Amino acid sequence: MPDVDVDVDVTVNGVPRRARVPARTLLVHFLRDNLRLTGTHVGCDTTQCGACTVALDGVAVKSCTVLAAQASGHEVTTIESLAPDLAEITARGGTLAAAGSRAAGREPPASPEPVSLHPVQRAFWRHHGLQCGYCTPGMVMMIRQLLADNPDPTDAEVRHALAGNICRCTGYQNIVAAALDAAAELRGA
Amino acid sequence: MFPADFAYARAGSLAGALAQLDAAATAGDNVKVLAGGQSLLPMMKLRLATPATLLDIGDLAELKDIAADGGQLRIGALATYRDLQRDPRITAGFPAIADALTVLADPQVRARGTVGGALAHGDPAADLPPVLLALNARVTIASRAGTRTVALEDFLRGVFSTDLADDELVTAVTVPAAPAGQAYEKFAHPASHLPLAGACTVIEVQGKAITGTRVAVTGIAPRAFRIDLPQRDLASRSVSALRAELADGDSAGGPELDAMLAGALEAAMAAAGAEPLADQHASGPFRVHLAAVMARRALARALSRADAPAGADE
Repeated sequence: MPDVDVDVDVTVNGVPRRARVPARTLLVHFLRDNLRLTGTHVGCDTTQCGACTVALDGVAVKSCTVLAAQASGHEVTTIESLAPDLAEITARGGTLAAAGSRAAGREPPASPEPVSLHPVQRAFWRHHGLQCGYCTPGMVMMIRQLLADNPDPTDAEVRHALAGNICRCTGYQNIVAAALDAAAELRGA
Repeated sequence: MFPADFAYARAGSLAGALAQLDAAATAGDNVKVLAGGQSLLPMMKLRLATPATLLDIGDLAELKDIAADGGQLRIGALATYRDLQRDPRITAGFPAIADALTVLADPQVRARGTVGGALAHGDPAADLPPVLLALNARVTIASRAGTRTVALEDFLRGVFSTDLADDELVTAVTVPAAPAGQAYEKFAHPASHLPLAGACTVIEVQGKAITGTRVAVTGIAPRAFRIDLPQRDLASRSVSALRAELADGDSAGGPELDAMLAGALEAAMAAAGAEPLADQHASGPFRVHLAAVMARRALARALSRADAPAGADE
């Protein structure tokens, strides 16, 4: 029987990570089970829903359809890296609103909007771009890609870019509104 | 859900990959080449494919290049759909390819899926094969013994079956310069985004006359295939007459034209001895009907792009 394990040597959110895993390990399971980065979700597991979207060498991909072995020698960016302070604080048991105010170094603001979030995440907050939240990490990672490619998308272009991301609560209206608002903020409009 | 166990090897060079394939073919080992993995990995997760070894060629930079040579384009096998979408030589020179990329899968899949992988996979319901067939593309194939080039027409065989031998790799696809009148249309399955039927039309125009038409369809037979339209029938129409006939979209288009397209489709399938594909999503006759409608829509869009002066023959 040939060796079915493989060394994975990958940079995740800027940090070099190394592990020996079965070659059949999917990137999403490597992130969640080996690295405990559970912000990336497994939805359909069949390349359709996009909940597992991460950036591989800076480009959004579905991590349920990439082997961890393929990512070896490459760079992966996950949802956790978009608001790093927040990830650290919530990992210690802090709350979202508290995290926002702490990152800004001031008392909790009247508005609970967490200031340390990525502009796309903040726009989701403002527009209530989620219901159950399961698809949200993938949506945010894909919208981040869209806005990198096309800083001023139309409504139709946002919807086309989200063809590979499914929200089973069907809350698309607010997700699209959040994407357009984040685009405007990032353009400084 | 994950694949059955396999051994993983990553190729460091094309020569190394070809040597490994050669050794595996000689030993009779079950090796599959992994490019972007957007078709192979889902099949492996469903245990529809259980290779003993995956040879990952994804890092071979020498297969990622897209090079123009005159009007001809040589697309490296590992160029991704996303690479093609972002290349102005594709979007400007080959609008039918751009059409297919717009409706092919989704952005994340397009970021990983490769042109060479799509062709080597031989999926009967893929979007690019009919486009590349209608564009007269040729496939460059390498093995340890050397390199050969084969017309895509002769490369595609049947369901997941191609002309590729166990010790060979697709290294590039070459697309000759093509007229501006070209388009791809498909009727997609809403969940998989795969075409239940898709058609590409390339139309050659001289002055106000149609001098040539190439049509290829996908999704309805074991492989994408070309159909011959009765050239006499098309040549008897001027560009503007055909444009007018197609102008009203699906509400018009002309029963005569639909009957001609459907007849040509059925004749091509009969000549190839191909039974229409049928599954729970669409019956064979419905797929054939859809293909004729997609061919008509592609013809209309190709005509709208053709280099013919509007109203030249009023």
